This record gives sequence, structure tokens and C-alpha cells, in this order.
Amino acid sequence: MSETKLLHSVRVNKDKCIGCGKCMRACPTKAMRVRPQKASINYERCIDCGECLRVCPNDAIEPITTSSADINKFKYKVAIPSPVIHSQFGPQIMPNGILSALKEIGFDYVYDEALICEMQNMVIEEYLDKNKSPRPIISSTCPVVARLIQRLFPSLCNLILPIEPPFEIAAKILKKEISEKQNIPKEEIGIIEITPCAAKMVSISHPETLEKSHLDGAISIKDVYNKVMIILKKEEQSLMLQGQSPISGIGIGRAIAGGEIRGLKYHQSVSVSGVYDTIKILEGVESGKLHDIEYLECLICPDGCIGGPLTVENRFIAKSNILKLTRIYGNKKRVDSNRVKRLYKEDFFSFESGVKPKPFKPLDKDRILAIKKMNLKREIFEKLPKRDCGICGAPDCITFAEDVVQGKAKLEDCIFMKK
Amino acid sequence: MDSEVVFKQEFEINGGDFVNAGESASKLKNILKEIGIDTDIIRRLAIAAYEAEVNVVTYARHGIMRILIYPEKILLTVEDEGQGIKDIDLAMQPGYSTATDEIREMGFGAGLGLPNMKKNADIFNISSTVDKGTKLEITMNLNDKNVRD
Repeated sequence: MSETKLLHSVRVNKDKCIGCGKCMRACPTKAMRVRPQKASINYERCIDCGECLRVCPNDAIEPITTSSADINKFKYKVAIPSPVIHSQFGPQIMPNGILSALKEIGFDYVYDEALICEMQNMVIEEYLDKNKSPRPIISSTCPVVARLIQRLFPSLCNLILPIEPPFEIAAKILKKEISEKQNIPKEEIGIIEITPCAAKMVSISHPETLEKSHLDGAISIKDVYNKVMIILKKEEQSLMLQGQSPISGIGIGRAIAGGEIRGLKYHQSVSVSGVYDTIKILEGVESGKLHDIEYLECLICPDGCIGGPLTVENRFIAKSNILKLTRIYGNKKRVDSNRVKRLYKEDFFSFESGVKPKPFKPLDKDRILAIKKMNLKREIFEKLPKRDCGICGAPDCITFAEDVVQGKAKLEDCIFMKK
Repeated sequence: MDSEVVFKQEFEINGGDFVNAGESASKLKNILKEIGIDTDIIRRLAIAAYEAEVNVVTYARHGIMRILIYPEKILLTVEDEGQGIKDIDLAMQPGYSTATDEIREMGFGAGLGLPNMKKNADIFNISSTVDKGTKLEITMNLNDKNVRD
């Protein structure tokens, strides 16, 4: 039971759900049904993209993040805010102010993930230089893209960049450094990402490429927003003067789509964002027609992480804020490239194991029966009105036909089939 | 042999329709995923089908792609009405192409289609008559290991 809970990023609050079906229609993998009156999630098909969360008008789809009780268990609490944080509090607030305010809300240490984003950009270039095939290499940054590939495009698993995303690298470095420098046992250090991402919690509790995540939890930008805003309003002037940490313009740029490929000067690269456009481009890769592309940045949220469902600021405003910061902080390198090369050689950034294919179950284990079921599904579909009204509780007529074949619905559940 | 066919579907391909080039291969791929064909077989067949489809669009007036699934194998045939191939051995050489500059500018006609199909197929057969058309047969063997749990 608790296993299922942890394994996925969202749950339906049945008290709040009014059964409108918006989530069901938005779901790219057809994991949701509204049957009989409330939405439910087939976790077997869920890829944690958060589309349902985004469209729910009643906040009935709830993200699962780390509770404050769980964070307080750690003696030494470290926050690593996603670079998206810098886009959330308006164009006047500078990064150092936000980092200091975060510390004040109850963390012992705040480390700007943007620095590691810049570092990871170098690692990508290094990987592409050292490995000439296969192509295109697909970014490993977005946890949902990896899940999407596992489920819908299993044959592309070997194209995923075998380098950990910035949040894992940041936590790995911090845990080691803090425990050594401050003499604190690793298990007493809690590293928490402040995240815009609905899938982050799952990638921490069930990492695909590590035995155990280096992070200890994630909380949403929404969760910290009010507290940080109150501090910023009160103490803005003094906070701005605090903190001398270097701010990475290159790293902050990773909050928006295209931030990952901006630095790839010598490699043909493409950036795609949004779940449907990502599916489309991956279909192209699967057909083998995109081998001219060397690096493919895919981010599930529209316009990249600033479009994450756990953010507060309008994503277009957020994008403008990020662009402003990248102009201010420029392209000046903040990370020592020799250190990156040395760590790269030690495999410090690498996956412990590759992303494994996990294709959706076919219509039947037995191939002959699966074909029969597919034919039956088509026959049923032909009889249906093809209006995709969703009243039966399935997102569209073709999915309803499949539910009928699999015994999960009856033909009479379709109001057009009743008489 | 035909009595053993457990699934059959045809797709029409229109010569010169670069807008929809790849649609049939894509539909075919989704069928194979739904019935649980092994990931690697789908990948190889989808690449071969895409190349074949693009060839019809590029060089022929019209074509039919057929998928026949038998208990032990998948047979993909692509038959077209078009200019045909004069020298098949030459056409099978990587990089050889008769494509016009215009077609190359669209990103097609690199001369890798036929060799790529052969590379991905378990069995590959091709026959052609100049000014009539070309017929391709791509076979993928299925073994029982390919039934997914």
C-alpha cells in the first residue's frame, strides 16, 4: 500500500474531486478514469508528468512531497533550490536575497543548484566529445522524460545521457563536503530540493539509475513561497547585502527550455518542451529519422522547469525574469572546468545503472490473444460515436473500447449504446 | 501458409506526399506495441518500414505496405508502382542514390535506405522491374522469448 503511494507523485483527494474529467482528458498516457463519480489513477500507466495536477480546477490532485515532520528529523537541514526559484519573486529580487530568505525559513545551509547546473552543462559537452555514438543523446534532466521513454519508447532507453541530473550531483557533492568539513555523520544531513517538479519526489524515493538517491526529500516552491515572500518584503535591503556566493548565469538559464543546449557550441542540438511535443519528437527518434541531431533536450513542462506544476509565478513572467538574470550574470564561467574533467574521469557524474525499458503491458501476454483483443477493440470502436465525450468515465472512445475488451467497462456504460 | 496469418493490415502510400511520409510506419509501430512484440524487433522493423515508406514517397507514384503476422514471424511487404531500380546490387551499396538535388535538400535520398533496411531485417528480399515498380519483403522472426510477462 505505502509502496504504491511512494511510487507515484500524485493522489486524488476524493473529497475535493467533483468528477469533471479535466484530468482524465489531459493525461497523455490515459491513466485516469472517472468511474463512477470520482477520478482515479491507474498507477500502472502513470508517468508522473503532473498534467492532471495542472488542469484540476479544484486542487483535488495533490502532489506528494516531504512533510515538515520528515525534514525536521534531520539535525542538519540543507536546501538546494532549483534555479526556477529565481524566477518566482519578481524582477527586482536578486538571487542572493532569495537564498538568504530560504535559510531564514529553517534551513542550516542553502546551496544554489544553478552552480551545479553549470557544471552539468560541461559534463554534457565532455560526454558528447568522448562518445561519438549512438545519436541523438537524450537529456537525463527531466525525470518524467526518462519515465516516458521507459514506458512509451522503451527502445530509446540506451540513448538517455548516462549522467545524473543536477539535483543528484548537487546532493552528492554537498553530503560529502558537509560531512567532512563540519564533521556531521551523513545520515544526520537532510538534503531537500525546493522544486517546481511534481515527479521529483518519486525520482528521490525510487531512483531509476541509482541504488539510493543522494537527496532526502523535496518540497514544492508553492510550499515555501509565502514564507519566503514575507521575509523578502520585510528584510529585502539587508538580505541583499548578505551572502557572497557566486551566482551562475549559465546555471540559472537551465530553468527554461534551451538552457541545457545553449552551451553546446560544437554539437547539433535541439530543445523541446511540453509533453505532447516531447512525445512527437521521440516518435521521430524512434523511426530513426533524427540521427543528424546529436543532443536532444526534452523537458515535459511547457517552456521547461519554470512551467512546472509546483510553481507560483506565471510561466511567461518567470521566463522573462530568468532571461533578465542570465543577461545580468552573463556567460561568465563560475565552475572550474579542470575539476569537472577530473571528476568526469572518476565517473563521479555517471549513472550507477542504465535506464531500463518498462513497456506498457500489451493487451494480453499471449500474442495470439492480444491480436484477437486488438481486433475486438477495433470492432467495438467502430460502433462507438467517436465523440470522446468522456461520460462513460474513459478519456476517449478508443480507450473505452479497450476497457470493454479488458472487462473493465461494459458497452452499456456508453450512453449512446444504451438503447 | 496464408491460413496461418493471425493479423493482416494494409497501408496506402502516395508518391510525392512528403508531408505524410512516415505515417504508415508509425501506425504499424503502434500496432506492434499494443500486441506486445519485443521492443528490439519493433525498433528494427519500424526503422525498415520508415525507410521503405520514404522510398515509395520519393521514387514511386503509389505503394501498398502490408503487415502480415504469423505465429512465428512478421512479414512486411512494400509494393510500389514507379520507376523501379535498374541495378539492385548498386542500389544496395551505402551512399548510392539517384535522388535529385531537390529531394536531397528535403533531407531524403542519402542513399542509405536499402542498406539500412537490410541491416535491420532478419530476412530481406527485393525485386524490381524498371518502369513498373519495386517489391520489398522484410521478415522478422519471432520466438517464444518475445512473449512478454
